[in-house]
Amino acid sequence: MILCLLLAACDGGLAPPPPVELGFSGTVYFTPGSWPTDSLFNLWIFASQIYPLDSAKVYSGLLGSQTTIFLFPSISQSLPLSEVDSMSYSFPLQSGTYRYVGVIQHVSPDFSIRAFRVVGFYKNPTNLSQPGTVEVNESAQVKGINIDVDFRNPPQQPF
Amino acid sequence: MGIVSDAKTQEPLAGVNVLLRGTVRGTTTDTYGKYLLGGVPAGTFDISFSLIGYTTQTIHQISIQPDTALRLDISLAQAPVQTEQVVVTASRREQSLRDVPVSVSTVTSKMIADRLSVTLDDALRYVPGVNMMSDQVNIRGSTGYSRGVGSRVLILIDGLPYITGDTGEINWETFPMFQIDRIEVVKGAGSALYGSSALGGVINVITKEISETPEIRFRFFSGIYDKPSYAEWDWYSTPRFNTGGFFSYSNHVGSFGYLISASRSVDDSYRVNDVYHRWGVYSKLNYNFSQSQSLTLMTNIEWRKHGNYFWWESLKEATRPADEQLNGEVNSARGNVSLAYKNILSDRFFYSLKAIYFGNFWQDDSAGHVNNTSAAHFTQFEAQATYTTSSAHFLTFSLAANYDRVISDIFGSHPGVGAAFYIQDELTLLESLKLTTGIRYDWQRVWKEIFASPAASSPSQLNPKIGLVFSPGPITTLRASYGEGFRYPSISELFTSVTSGSLKIVPNDSLRPERSVSFEIGGSQWLSERIFLDLALFQSDYYDLIEAHVTPNPPVEILFGNITRARIRGLELGIKTDWFDRFLSTDFSYTYTDPVDLRDNSVLMFRSRHLFYASLSANYRQWRTEVNFRYVSRVEAIDENLVRLAPIVDGDQRVACKVVDAGVTYNLINTGLPITIGLTVKNLTNYYYVELIGNLAPVRTYYVSVEGVW
Repeated sequence: MILCLLLAACDGGLAPPPPVELGFSGTVYFTPGSWPTDSLFNLWIFASQIYPLDSAKVYSGLLGSQTTIFLFPSISQSLPLSEVDSMSYSFPLQSGTYRYVGVIQHVSPDFSIRAFRVVGFYKNPTNLSQPGTVEVNESAQVKGINIDVDFRNPPQQPF
Repeated sequence: MGIVSDAKTQEPLAGVNVLLRGTVRGTTTDTYGKYLLGGVPAGTFDISFSLIGYTTQTIHQISIQPDTALRLDISLAQAPVQTEQVVVTASRREQSLRDVPVSVSTVTSKMIADRLSVTLDDALRYVPGVNMMSDQVNIRGSTGYSRGVGSRVLILIDGLPYITGDTGEINWETFPMFQIDRIEVVKGAGSALYGSSALGGVINVITKEISETPEIRFRFFSGIYDKPSYAEWDWYSTPRFNTGGFFSYSNHVGSFGYLISASRSVDDSYRVNDVYHRWGVYSKLNYNFSQSQSLTLMTNIEWRKHGNYFWWESLKEATRPADEQLNGEVNSARGNVSLAYKNILSDRFFYSLKAIYFGNFWQDDSAGHVNNTSAAHFTQFEAQATYTTSSAHFLTFSLAANYDRVISDIFGSHPGVGAAFYIQDELTLLESLKLTTGIRYDWQRVWKEIFASPAASSPSQLNPKIGLVFSPGPITTLRASYGEGFRYPSISELFTSVTSGSLKIVPNDSLRPERSVSFEIGGSQWLSERIFLDLALFQSDYYDLIEAHVTPNPPVEILFGNITRARIRGLELGIKTDWFDRFLSTDFSYTYTDPVDLRDNSVLMFRSRHLFYASLSANYRQWRTEVNFRYVSRVEAIDENLVRLAPIVDGDQRVACKVVDAGVTYNLINTGLPITIGLTVKNLTNYYYVELIGNLAPVRTYYVSVEGVW
């Protein structure tokens, strides 16, 4: 019996929570039948700390000394390029405020500003025409950042 | 007069209760087993000798001659199971536990020493039906989360109340741990005898008697905290110790007896900013005017300085307090002076006069800046008389009066007065059937300012009780009881006015007393010579329980209100066994409670449904080893608003408590040294849990101790 009681007390009890992967996660929903056949070279999720954007801010945000625009996956990789209805994602990011989150399509092989277009963004729940802000903190991953993508009807471009 | 010794070992027995049956006279043996029962008139009497763990022996028809001293040496045989004992709290007089109609548990000084209980709350952790939530006591589910404010268990020191005048809480560390003879825990409402605060039960701390001969006692202990298993919680690179001890000397010079004691302890703690420094002095002076008149003066003062650890930063940083508590410090001075006069006027009548002053002074600092201060003075006077008639009535009646004074920047400045009267009759209907009835009337007023208009309505309270004990045979006892309890709101609940961060606590001087009604039926039975069983079924109804709540509309304010109506039903089972001529002993208890919030039939917050305590001890020559296990089931419901608004990050993280404590002692008496050395490991398996939300309980700690008596 003593052995049983000792064993009962050996399961450790409370423990520190496992490390949290900072960032946000959610699902990208693609409008069925809208996938392009000849203008899809890469596809990323982006998170910009700055909004609104212009060409200069996009360049400095992506390539400048202080990065303010982040891509998922990395620039050398891409989201799936073949047609799917939806995909779940988990975007690792440092804590901070991200004012513009969406999906960006690379439409041609070059890397000029015209080779990119936003095809969907995370919407402000109280004003669907405006981007929603995502606050990433150190306590937990932000969940439920869902994005609708329609390649045929992209939103108004920010640059 | 005489000496009481162990029939087997011939060692003198201390603490034996010697009672002259049918009278109010009695005494106890000293460290050397000696007793002196003075003032006995000529006549023929029965004298009983009883001690926990020994079979009570009654010597019948002892003839006392005028002006003649009778020497009566007694040898007591060890009882198969340690159950025979005398208690004083249930009826405010010495009586056998078999005659008590309510559930009573005791903790002896030996149990305190064997388990190396450093503070009083630590000593109560294995009492059946008692659940300590950090330093907050909970008897059979009576108490939720209040951080000690407004205790629903009344604590007494030698029969006098020891609740702070401002917050109505129990300062566990103030009790002179090393001078405790025993602790009695009476379960269920007890206001019919003790007044306010006795909703869930009464704990009476009984201090040791002064030795008849010169006696030096000491105990020193040193513990070292193990390192937490997780790197996130491991913040100390140098060992953290919990060290302390006491030294006392007592003697009698003629009719004058004295005991002086000093104690000191430092607890480095396993948590950041949780260091405790304690200094204590204690004295007990006694003068016997005659063999039937005595006066006792007890003084007990404790100074304390400690970090202000309220709750953790988060579960990830569970050994570190929230940022705002990092530099907090609390300085306090607490203590009492009490006076007790006893006069035995005849074999059937005696009276006692008692008075206590309990002062409670504290201030909390943050980085050297004094934030809050409080000075609370509590004074009580009590006169009690006991009269036994030839028709088997045992009457106890008393008058009590108290005066409170609180001066504080957060509680305000408030005086209060109270008065009470109670009467109790214990009637022996048959040799095997005893009926106890009693009633107490309490009156109290608290003023907003110096005796200006009364602040709290505090209606007067009338609390009855009734109990029945039936003993159909020597191995069976059945009991039933009904009792009522109440608690006047404390000064802090009535008048706290403080803003902390975004939270504002506002006063509510319309609070009413909270009340309880308790029923219990139970019984005890020897199943064999070695197995003793006790079972109790109980129900307690609580009305107008005072709890803090948040105002529904902005701005967010917290105030105390009469909110909860609750019912707690349950059962308690205890089994004690002894094996191989007491080489091996076991003690199990299980308490089940069903705590229901009757407002919506939900589970009452901050209560555990199951308590299971197990103890195994073995004695071999001068060696003794003991293993204790306690299981407290996971608290099912907590106040989510508290967690959210405080805020206590990860405050909802909790598990069941499953703790093993183990120890071994060796008595050096054979070498000629009256010294016992011990090794104790608390939380042997290094199990991590919380008793109070957001507070990681102590990690595994290794203690060594040395205790001596000369």
